[in-house]
Amino acid sequence: MSDSRGNNTAYGDAPSKKSDPHWRQVAQRHYDPCDEVELTTAIVFAIADAKNVDPTALTSPQLYDCIDAAALEDTFFGAGTLSKQSTGTVQFRYDTYLIRVDADGWIRVFEPGT
Amino acid sequence: MTIWMTMVTSNDDDGSGAERPGVDDADTPSSEFLELDHVYEALGHSRRRYLCYTLLESPEWTLDELARKIAAWEHDVPEANVTDQQQEAVYVALYHIHVPKLVEGGVIAFDAVTETIRPATNAKQVLRALEGMGASLDSRQEAHARSDPHE
Repeated sequence: MSDSRGNNTAYGDAPSKKSDPHWRQVAQRHYDPCDEVELTTAIVFAIADAKNVDPTALTSPQLYDCIDAAALEDTFFGAGTLSKQSTGTVQFRYDTYLIRVDADGWIRVFEPGT
Repeated sequence: MTIWMTMVTSNDDDGSGAERPGVDDADTPSSEFLELDHVYEALGHSRRRYLCYTLLESPEWTLDELARKIAAWEHDVPEANVTDQQQEAVYVALYHIHVPKLVEGGVIAFDAVTETIRPATNAKQVLRALEGMGASLDSRQEAHARSDPHE
């Protein structure tokens, strides 16, 4: 669950370094809780970027079936978390993609490397 | 909830430990209490409350219509002035989190082909709770959700 520095929580066989040969980053987007856009929306927009499609065309699966993004939004960006400087990473799969959300607001989308 | 607690207390006071007819009923909160979870879950986000309010106005909506209505409410502009970008952001949130959550709670049914929502089994209970709070807590949102979009 934690890396050697003890400040990073990860799930699954996700890339721990940018140089990981198995996953290639194909899109990234910064989520800002002040923008009044839900984290769910920001994640879907990032995946749509990766697929190069319109966000409204990304219909299957619903993100709800992959992750509880509302709970994640609460954990990383909810009331009180900014002052606590929360750190951490959550990674999950969406279709063939691997999505990584960091507590600093960066959403990164990876696809399997060849 | 209060009623249930009272019943449990009186049961404890009995002290005999003997089984009596009807005691089992008192040990378990009635299903009506337990099943409030989906009401709170459904009404736990302003966009879901808004969606539920719109069901009071009309039993069937497309996601596009709802997204436009909600964007208009949130940005405090007439529906005609909602930008595509604003509508798209709400649409995506409805599609990927709020609608599936309400479907899971049995509050609405979603037709993925026509992208239309309509009330499901638990809608009545949720709408009743909404109507109860509408007058005091959420009256502006309710009024907006139930207003004629063309006014």
